[in-house]
Amino acid sequence: MTQEVFAFPSQDEALALHGGLLEGDPVAPSDVAIAYLDPLARWLARLNPRVDPSECYTAAEDAILSLLTHPESYNSAGMPLEAYLRMAAKRDLQNARRSQGRHAGRRADWGAVELSASMGKHLMDVDSDPARILELQEMIEEIVRKRPRIPAAALAGLAPGEVQVLSLVECGERRTEMYAVALGITHLPLEQQRVEVKRVKDRMKVRLKRAGVSHD
Amino acid sequence: MTDRIDAFARRLRRDPYFLASALEDYAGSEGLDGSGLAVELGCGVDELGQLGLCRRPRSDPESFADDVRRIAGRFAVSEDRLAEAVRRSDALTALREAESQDVIAAARDRITLDGPPDGDELP
Repeated sequence: MTQEVFAFPSQDEALALHGGLLEGDPVAPSDVAIAYLDPLARWLARLNPRVDPSECYTAAEDAILSLLTHPESYNSAGMPLEAYLRMAAKRDLQNARRSQGRHAGRRADWGAVELSASMGKHLMDVDSDPARILELQEMIEEIVRKRPRIPAAALAGLAPGEVQVLSLVECGERRTEMYAVALGITHLPLEQQRVEVKRVKDRMKVRLKRAGVSHD
Repeated sequence: MTDRIDAFARRLRRDPYFLASALEDYAGSEGLDGSGLAVELGCGVDELGQLGLCRRPRSDPESFADDVRRIAGRFAVSEDRLAEAVRRSDALTALREAESQDVIAAARDRITLDGPPDGDELP
């Protein structure tokens, strides 16, 4: 079986492109769109073979557009730009499909219903992609390693996943996916993931406050 | 690929963050289609999408000149024509906003003169 190659830019190229956006280079948005639109949409289409490719392009556009207008939302220390855009595009597609499902209601065909339900259940569908989980987990561990200033008292009695959440909170991480991976709850429905992540984050914020650690 | 980039730029032609919005205004005001616009700017019609995805030049004079120069240099389009297109679009935007304010003011005046519409009377 031939493996389709998605010609994403290298991370060095990505950093240069992202730097252009941050510096306000007026040509940078065009460069980023040209570099990422096609590989991102093709990757998404391959991941979702039952979805109309034009929807994949729209989701890829949404993800890129968000980066173009808010380049500061991407933290290059966190993950490669390619991974960031893949995650965003995947989420945008899933949200669009869910929204469509709501509007289409009973008119939806059974295939679409099945797909929509499956996507709705796993909005952060990283659990279908072990490599992606591993990638996020490695990023989390890297963050934990880089954050040695949390006092031992704040860590006492915490489960390993909670320690990771504590570090993520302390460094100002905002992506729910990261917390979901840290807590090992990516298999849960989105709303449940959000609730659980918020609950644990709030608890960790209290711990940090009590330990006198300011968080971002 | 060009088709997809063109489609992306078309999607953004009402978004003032992107140059596509200025090119749309300019082409509309001159009655130009894509080919005509490309001729005016001095580029290929297949480059309009990429051009449209550039950030619209910032409005302060120094940044405007820098941005126009950078974009024009990159796509080998006429710097003067590009600047003219953006300025035209700025003027049209200001006009639209002024008209919109006039419409709001006129509506407000009418409500003041006529009283609130039926069923909307204040207690």
